[in-house]
Amino acid sequence: MGRLVLTRREQTLRGGQPLAFLIGIVTALSIGILLLVISGHDPMAVYERMFDSSVGSPKSWSLTLNRAVPLGLAGLAVAVAGSMGLWNIGAEGQILAGAMMAAWIARIGEGWPSPLLITVMLLAAISGGALLGLGPAIARAQIGVNEIITTLMLNEVALRLLQWLIHGPWKDPESKGFPLAPMLPGEARLPDLFERAHWGAVIALIVIALFGLVASKTAWGYELRVAGSSGETARFAGISLKRKIMTVLVLSGGIAGLAGGIELSGNADRIVEGVSGGYGFAGIIVAALALMRPSGVAAVALLFGAVQVGGLSIQTMGVSSSVSTILQALILFGAIGAGVFSRYTLKRVRKEQDSIKAEPNE
Amino acid sequence: MSTPFAVDLIDIWKRFPGVVANAGATLQVKQGSIHAVLGENGAGKSTLMNVLAGMYRPDSGEIRIGGSQFWFRSPSDALAAGIGMVHQEFKLVPSFTVAENVVLGSADRIIRRSSIESQVEALAKQFGLNIDPARPVWQLSMGERQRVEILKTLWRNAQILIMDEPTAVLTPGEAEELGSVLREMANTGRSVIFISHKLHEVKEFSDEATVLREGKTVAASLRVEDTDTSKLAGLMVGSSPVTTDRPPDREHGPSLLEVRGLEALDDRYLSAVRDFNLDVHSGEIVGIAGVSGNGQRELAQAIAGLRPVKSGTITINGDDLTHALPVERFRAGLGYVPEDRLGVGLAPRLSVIENAILRNYKQLRQGPLLVEEKMSTYCEDIVNKFGVRTGPLNEPIAGLSGGNLQRLLVGRELSGEPKVLVAAQPTRGLDVQGVKAIQDLLVAERAAGVAVLLISEDLDELLTLSDRLLVMHSGKIVGEFDPVNAERQDIGAAMAGGAQG
Repeated sequence: MGRLVLTRREQTLRGGQPLAFLIGIVTALSIGILLLVISGHDPMAVYERMFDSSVGSPKSWSLTLNRAVPLGLAGLAVAVAGSMGLWNIGAEGQILAGAMMAAWIARIGEGWPSPLLITVMLLAAISGGALLGLGPAIARAQIGVNEIITTLMLNEVALRLLQWLIHGPWKDPESKGFPLAPMLPGEARLPDLFERAHWGAVIALIVIALFGLVASKTAWGYELRVAGSSGETARFAGISLKRKIMTVLVLSGGIAGLAGGIELSGNADRIVEGVSGGYGFAGIIVAALALMRPSGVAAVALLFGAVQVGGLSIQTMGVSSSVSTILQALILFGAIGAGVFSRYTLKRVRKEQDSIKAEPNE
Repeated sequence: MSTPFAVDLIDIWKRFPGVVANAGATLQVKQGSIHAVLGENGAGKSTLMNVLAGMYRPDSGEIRIGGSQFWFRSPSDALAAGIGMVHQEFKLVPSFTVAENVVLGSADRIIRRSSIESQVEALAKQFGLNIDPARPVWQLSMGERQRVEILKTLWRNAQILIMDEPTAVLTPGEAEELGSVLREMANTGRSVIFISHKLHEVKEFSDEATVLREGKTVAASLRVEDTDTSKLAGLMVGSSPVTTDRPPDREHGPSLLEVRGLEALDDRYLSAVRDFNLDVHSGEIVGIAGVSGNGQRELAQAIAGLRPVKSGTITINGDDLTHALPVERFRAGLGYVPEDRLGVGLAPRLSVIENAILRNYKQLRQGPLLVEEKMSTYCEDIVNKFGVRTGPLNEPIAGLSGGNLQRLLVGRELSGEPKVLVAAQPTRGLDVQGVKAIQDLLVAERAAGVAVLLISEDLDELLTLSDRLLVMHSGKIVGEFDPVNAERQDIGAAMAGGAQG
């Protein structure tokens, strides 16, 4: 007999992350079986529905993609900041800011041709998010104010601003007193790609791939890696740390803003408080799971999107939303938790070695 | 039956991916003795000590403490068995006082501050450790911090103390003091194991020495009294010890580095370098000696552009670069080997290639892209020319040994074909061959007409390599010596602050 002890590997297991990912999901699904049996459901039927509804058909893929788009962009936003060791916790607010800017363009751009309107809307969305990132960027770069606090607090500011707009200046006179913004014009809607999926998926993929390329291939990306590795070394190499911090936090905000613009133009009828849908916070999880790598962000966002779509669909077969949420959390938690094993390993400690002191020989 | 050894490590094996760090190493330490563990970088000393201190678990082998077999799962297990280790990097809370740091983690209930302070003071007195228990750690010098680390192990009643290169951060005076503290500990029945590169310290401090090479014990428990240092050095490298000969005299060229009336501040905004004037000529090595903390670090940083200059001028190769950026200085012909290799000179998480191109990456661009072929060619040139032993070039440099890191760093700085080279502690912590390689490079640069400013704490190195030797004290030059004819006592007196020479 003996017992298991968590031991740190001296070196991270190669290729351990994807493997741990899979094992984690399988484990989570196994635990989920127990949960479903207890709550009186047929686990296999539930899993089948989850699978079918999220990746089982072109239509389910389109739903998954639509969720993966804001998750992926928000994840990228967090990862961009993360590549320099900075934390952007403000993607949620930046998504709102992006959506607000896009909605504003949709209001003033009435009668513009659709491609022009959508392009301007998305550019405005980027600038909206970037603008919200600018304050924390300046504070961090110039006087070293912790960006976690500032970005987090600005979420609230963005939300209050949107509430004020919807209750005030943007309130639809025809909404019979309800605090609702008017419907977006048809020209402001992103065209469909296939089934329910809109072109946002293509835009998101291009943005993620572009950043991946820029980060790994250009001198700018190299400077970013140096600055992220050691500030003193960056200074030594002539890289301005302040400028890098500014660029990265503003860029991060801009990417999150783009997510807001796409979400509004692709998935919403009108701007509402829930347009950010928690994607900004989920993006932190996405980026962390992806180890701050752009390629990983795309994959994790897709998984995350599928889990969300699947989790929603099983509610229609009577699984309560709480059980569904637990199931979603289990799968993601399994994937995160299992990641530990690429860095740690379980070792069995023999009983006779278990105590500190053994077999005195004299 | 004879008394068991205080520490008996038998046939210890420890493999890391791609490396066998310990291949059947043994170590036997007598109770109440000071035992030196010697070996080059990568010989497996640190691994073996980490095995003993419970940081690593050996793949096979036995650990016997006082005759009984032990199996450590963690450092706290080792501590419970009476083994304490003082690492090279101290693990202290800067804002806590000395006493608070000493009892941290071992106080199981709230104790009155005055009571722990007097207890810690009593403990310190007992072993001749001179320290004020009420002072916060951030105010302390490196030597004082080390005393706090030693007190921590004593407080936990460690009977076996492991010290990893304890004198690397100490001034000569502090090192001597440490020696007597260790002796006091041995006199009270404790056993001290200390890792060192400095043979004269081994000779001075220790009773016995064990030499490791390539993970194996090549000489166990030599009586230090009966062994001379050249034999120890021979065992470490496995061949005759290498010593750099004094390079032949040569004519100096024009002055390439001129420092006039320099004043620079330290991190506490106090004046660290004052009224500093210096000329280094083409083909000349100017050595700067001094007890650490007398402004050498700030001087090097000010010349390199990493520390603002309060007043005065710095001229490199005729250009006034007093307020220029580090890159501009590099382009103007300044190579700089910083004291902190990792964290200033190199980025530890990045690859060999990424570190090799740090100074010159802008020349390897095509549009916004970095050209990978150019990057690897540039890197391979440095690696081959300067004999850097590395794994794959796109792997992080964290796996490289200290000597190879320094070769990479020095190689990179020299790849810009500098006119002026500032080298701060370029051989500190390197093994014998690493020291030799770096010293040879400095001499070769001198022969090529480069003006070399060598800041070092190794007086032998300075006396061997320098054409002129300056001694720094309290931010000023207090003496200039001719390295061939100077008396060591005179230099020592100048280092201690007496203006002579």
